[in-house]
Parts: sequence; structure tokens; C-alpha cells
Amino acid sequence: MANKKKDVDDDAIEHDFVAISAVLTGYDRAELYGTGCVKEYLHQFRQVLPEKILREFLEPGPSLYADIDTARDEVEMAVRSHYLASGMLGPPARALIQLWYLGQWMPLPAKWRNLYGASRFDVTRIISTRAYKEGLVWDAIGAHPMGAKQQGFGAWAIEPPKPKALP
Amino acid sequence: MSVIADDDHIYDVVIVGAGMTGGILAKQLIKAGYSVAILESGAKHGEKWETYRDYLDQFYLSLAKTPNSPYPDLSTSPSPSVLDITSVRGTTPDTEGYFVQQGPMPFGSNYLRAYGGTTLHWLGTSLRMLPADFEMATRFGRAVDWPFKYQALRPYYELAEWEIGVSGEVAEQTPKAMGIQTSNPKDNDGYFAKDYEYPMHKIPSSYMDDYVAERADGLPVDMGTQRHYHGHHKKGSDIVAAKVSNTPVGRNSTPRGLGRGKKGFKVAGKERAAFQPRGATGAFSFMGQRCEGNSSCIPICPIQAKYNAMKTLDDALTEAKQRRIRLHIKEQSVASRVELDDSQRIKGIVYKRYDFPGVPQYSMRRIRGRQYVLAAGAVENVTLALASGLCPSSHELGRNLMDHPYMMTWGLAQDPVGAFRGPGSTSGIASYRDGVFRDQKAAFRLELGNWGWNFAAGSPTSNVMQLVENENLFGAELRHKLYHDVQRQIRIGVLVEQLPQSSNRVTIDPSYRDAMGEYRPVISYDIGDYSRAGLALAHDACMQIYRQAGIKNHTRYNPSDAGYMTYDGKGLTVFGAGHLVGTHRMGTSANKSGSVTDENMRTWDHSNLWMVGCGSMPTIATSNPTLTMAALAFKAGDAIKGALK
Repeated sequence: MANKKKDVDDDAIEHDFVAISAVLTGYDRAELYGTGCVKEYLHQFRQVLPEKILREFLEPGPSLYADIDTARDEVEMAVRSHYLASGMLGPPARALIQLWYLGQWMPLPAKWRNLYGASRFDVTRIISTRAYKEGLVWDAIGAHPMGAKQQGFGAWAIEPPKPKALP
Repeated sequence: MSVIADDDHIYDVVIVGAGMTGGILAKQLIKAGYSVAILESGAKHGEKWETYRDYLDQFYLSLAKTPNSPYPDLSTSPSPSVLDITSVRGTTPDTEGYFVQQGPMPFGSNYLRAYGGTTLHWLGTSLRMLPADFEMATRFGRAVDWPFKYQALRPYYELAEWEIGVSGEVAEQTPKAMGIQTSNPKDNDGYFAKDYEYPMHKIPSSYMDDYVAERADGLPVDMGTQRHYHGHHKKGSDIVAAKVSNTPVGRNSTPRGLGRGKKGFKVAGKERAAFQPRGATGAFSFMGQRCEGNSSCIPICPIQAKYNAMKTLDDALTEAKQRRIRLHIKEQSVASRVELDDSQRIKGIVYKRYDFPGVPQYSMRRIRGRQYVLAAGAVENVTLALASGLCPSSHELGRNLMDHPYMMTWGLAQDPVGAFRGPGSTSGIASYRDGVFRDQKAAFRLELGNWGWNFAAGSPTSNVMQLVENENLFGAELRHKLYHDVQRQIRIGVLVEQLPQSSNRVTIDPSYRDAMGEYRPVISYDIGDYSRAGLALAHDACMQIYRQAGIKNHTRYNPSDAGYMTYDGKGLTVFGAGHLVGTHRMGTSANKSGSVTDENMRTWDHSNLWMVGCGSMPTIATSNPTLTMAALAFKAGDAIKGALK
């Protein structure tokens, strides 16, 4: 029973984690799952953030995600005030965005660690070979990860892809 | 005292270094029926498919994706790293890395001590030198002439191009086609042999190459060596138009087929069948796979479409097996001392064989042969020779160390240019590789980079950090701005020639040894005014191109950069190009005192010792030296075969 409860809890955390990740990265939930990196990024995130801060971080995720297409300006305001401008949630938010874009964990600032606790997992590293290849930056810039997902002979001679239109 | 055990067999030739030079020599000698042993200080990590995959994974996981990042840096066979380059201050040498840097400038280049050598991380650029490059003293009153002229090396260039598998078009690679106003108008005649062709068609130029060419081709650049009279140039003016040209490279493209009625390709005077591209080495090799645009030639081509010396070593091993000739490549074997007999001939090489990579416990052994070749690169050749007291007569050993001081400029185009797709570079502006101006300032080549500001500013990682941490973007705006900021990135690399200078040298000092007790290279290095003048001119040329093409300049040089220097009051930053040249240069018999070897790379002082590689080159000029090194290996190979008869 205990395990089952834990699974349900983990599923809920993952649900919220992917929702807030989608809001912060500009990629939708399906695209983030498409990287295959959800579980290992969540694992890294949980290893660095104390449980209480994690809950507070994840909690607004689903509602922000639900409103992103209908109330874009309100979501932007909410993200800025709740996350980016917050001394507690801002640094993890910026680290999480970079984790998704680069597959790399960027350590939290010393000030944050002094206030909220230092984790021994809070070190610069590329999470895995897959994480490197799945960094969203490569898609965002209209290219491919250097050294992987090669585009084929001569693909570099054709016009680059057009940018995605802003919503 | 430990007892040094002799190896059982006496080989025809003992080679130090399983890189490209050693590989080419071994292949030639085995073909001629001679037995060969190669001592390789590094381990044989990459030769198998699975272990090559390990290199690739190491690259993915490296935070700093430097040229040596995929490869093991063993304490038993240490390699220099670009991460160790810092400013050298005062009189205290910088001993942080493998090199002991005495300055005044840090020597910024690296190499790789491993099976396959530095070709594992080279870019693949395979440009021939120009006729003028062999006659610097005669034509410009600068440096020294080579002991032979371009035409003497031409057949060996053909052999080298067919060994590497170079992709290019002859019609686009003559000096004239590259837009060079050669210092002698006749240099264009016979630059390629009649009917000669590269083994493979060219690698397509990138979208960005064409973007720059459309805007900058024909742009007149003033080389600034003549006075202006009333705003007009006198006759014979040194205005040179920029021209973007495709760069020949050692990277698989489409092999050239035999046309109708054509029986073969003429290479160094002999008919050959069409080129058979080789794929990756190892059991699960892909035969002759073309470049797939992995965008990581430096530091590692995941599919080995880029040539590396493991391919030539593989050929040599196959040939040896078929013909039952002994070829023994001894990895994890560090050549320690070359031993002389009373007549100054080499009688053996003592080496340290370690069993476990990175564990400096070893047994001492001695290997013997009839002829000996040092082919371990311009720096390692010298440290071994100096440690053994070799080649003392000319006092030139270790001197004249050269590189291509490598400067970058970078900017943002007005349109998306397709950055971060394809090989590191597919084109360059070669127009400034020769000209009458070389009596006053260095020639240079501009290399168009396909990977945005990756080398220059750590893009795209740095762009993500900047937009998230400083511009406070997230979500769709972040994604959009990343495209906007990275897609338009342009980067031009400048490779400028450097003259030989006796004070630029590699030496040894008993105070500085590695974990195996071997001498670490102690390097003194500076960049002279000739090169600085060329860099300043190249910088101006880049700025002119940016203005013409509507590219916003973002180049920044910081006085705290390790390679920061000034010329004419202006500051600029240079890096090493990884082109280590000149430390055991060739010369003519009339000038024995100014050189270490003869024109076939046999040392003047020891009749059965050859020093072969980029260290053999008397001047560096403006081409990446690997192709010339390969040509020299073929030349030396012919002479060594002659000496064995």
C-alpha cells in the first residue's frame, strides 16, 4: 500500500513538474516527454531542492499551463512574480530552464544555498549523453546537437528552417 | 639498476609514434616488404567500434568540449590541453599543464598522444602549400628557402591526397581560381599535374559560405604595402579582391568515378582505380560512409567520415597480415632514450612499457632496427632527441617552433545563415595566401566557420545562459530569441603565417618531468611583428567584409585573454591553431649548420636516424600543415626504402 501511495504521489509530482517545465521552456508537455529526459531531470531537481521548496515550486504549474494559450499576459505576470523575481524560486527556475535547454545542471548561487540548504548534487554536470543530445537549444536554433542527430550529406547547404512564430 | 630486456626481433625499421606520419611510413615500408615496429606512448582506445563509442560519450558529457575532450589524458602519456593556457607572467614559467611555458606569449596549441595521433581531432583541411612558400628567402628576403621547390613535392602531394581521401575540385584550387595574386605570375602553371583529379568530389559549401560569397566576393582589400598618390594606386598595386573558395578536406564525399573511356586516375605518375572511401575502423565498420554533417569534426567525427590515421594503420596491418610481413604496433610503450654506438649510429631505443593506462608502473625494454624514425610530432620528437643527446651539431634542434597564430572575428548577419550545421568549415577566403606584400607582412587565410560563435564565445550554451540569467527570458520568447541570436552568427578565423625564429623553441629541463619520469616540453614562444602586421591587416579585411555584407561586428578582445597582444596600438587575441611546425627543419647540404636533417629528413648527425613530420618544415606558410606532412612522409618513405636496399 505504501508503495502504491508513493507511486501516486510521484506521478502527481511528475505531472506538475512537466507542466511548470512547459511554461518555463516554451515547449509543450508532449514535446518535453519527447526528449525522454523527464524522469532524470525530475530526479536531479528533487536531489537539489528541499521537499518543501519543491512543493511550492511545482504547485502552480498545472493552472499556469492550462491558461497559457488563453491568458498569456496573466501567465507571464504570474511567472515573473512567483518565480523569476523570487529569491527562493527564481534561481531554481533559471536552473531548470537551462537544464531543459542544455541538458546540463547549473549550480544555484551561493546565496541561495546559504539560505535554503546546499545539496551535494548541486554541481555543474551534463546529466547524461541523452540529455546532451536532447537539449532544447538545438531545436530552438534550427540546428542539431553537435556530434549527434546528423542531418545528412549536404543538408548544410540548404536554407535554414524558419523561426517559429511567436504566439 | 633494473635490467633492460631486449625485444627478440630486429626490425628493418623502428618508428616512434602511431600517428599519420608513422602510419604512412609503415604502410609504404610493409608494401615494399620491410618489417616495421611502431612504439606508441598512448593506449589503443579508439581502434575498436565500441571503444570509439566511448570517446563519443566522453565528448557528450564534457563540459568544455575542447579538441582533446573525448580522449583519455593519461598520466602515463600526458597531452597538452588548451584549458591549461594562461598568460605567462614575469620570469616564472607557467607549469599548470603538461607544457612548461616560459613565454613571453603562451604557446596555445595542443596535440594528442594516442593511437591515431592528433588526426583524431583535426578538422580535415587539406590545402597544398603554394610555390612561393618554398622560397621565402629568395622571393621576399624572409626566413629560409626549403631545400626543394613546390614541383619536387607535387607528386607526393598527390600520394597524400589519395591516402587521406581528399574531397575537392582541381579547377577550384589553383592559385588563380582562389583569387591569389601570386608573387610570381607563373606560379599558377602546373600547380596541379595535367589531368590530375582529387579522389572525391568536393564537400558542398554551406549556406553560410554562399551567403558571405554573394555579399563579399570581389571586395577590394588594400594590402597596404604601397604609398598612395593623390588617392590613386600606382601600377602593380596591391589591391586584392576577396574571393570565397571551397576548401579541400580529408572527409568522405562522393568518390570520383571513371568517366567514359577513362582507364584510371594518374597519381604520382601511376594509373589507379577509382578511390575506395574507407569508413570507420573496427569490426562494425561502415564502409566509406559520407560526411553526414555531424558538426563535430573537432573534436570527434562520430562516423569517421573524416580521415584519421587509424585508417592508414589499419591498411598497414591488413597488408602485413596478407603478405606475412612483421608489423608490430606496440601501444603503451613510451620511447625514453635513443641509444648511439661509437660511430654515432642508432643502436636501439629504450622504452617504458606500462600495463595499465594511467598507472605509471612500467618495465624497461629495448627495441632494435636497421633504420629508426622519430614520427611523434614536432614537440615530442624534440624532447626525445634532446633527452638522448641527438643531433647536436647544428644547434637548431628544438628551435624555430611555429604555429598559425589564430585570431577570430565574429558578428551577426541580418538574416538567418544556418549556423551549427555541417562540417566546421567548408570554405575560406584564400586570396591573401600570397602576394608581393609578403616582404613586409605575413600572408594569411580567412576560414569561414559553420558553427556560429562556438569557438569564439561558447555558443549556443553561452546564449542560453545570457538570455536566461541576464535577459530574464523564458517560454516562447526565450525560444524565439535564441533562434534570432544564434541563427545569424558569423565567425571568421584568421590563420596567419609565422616566420622561424631561433628563440621560439622547445627544450628540456631535469626539473620538469611527467609521472613516467620523461621530460616535459619546456617552451619559449613569441609572435613577431611580421605576423602581427599580417593579423592587423587580416582584422581590417574582416571588418571590411562585415561592413560590405551588413554584418554587425561583435568581436571583443580582452587584455586578460591569455593570448592578448598588441600591434600598432591595437589589441587582439590569438589562440594556437594546433599546427606545430619547424623544430627539426630540413636543409641543403650547403647549409648543414642551419638545419637538423637533409631534404629527405635523414638527420645530418646520425646516418640511420630520420626525423619526419611537421617539425621537418622550414616555414609554415598559410596552409594547415597536415597534408604537407603526409606528402613529406611519402618522400621520406622513398628515401628510407633506398637506405634499406
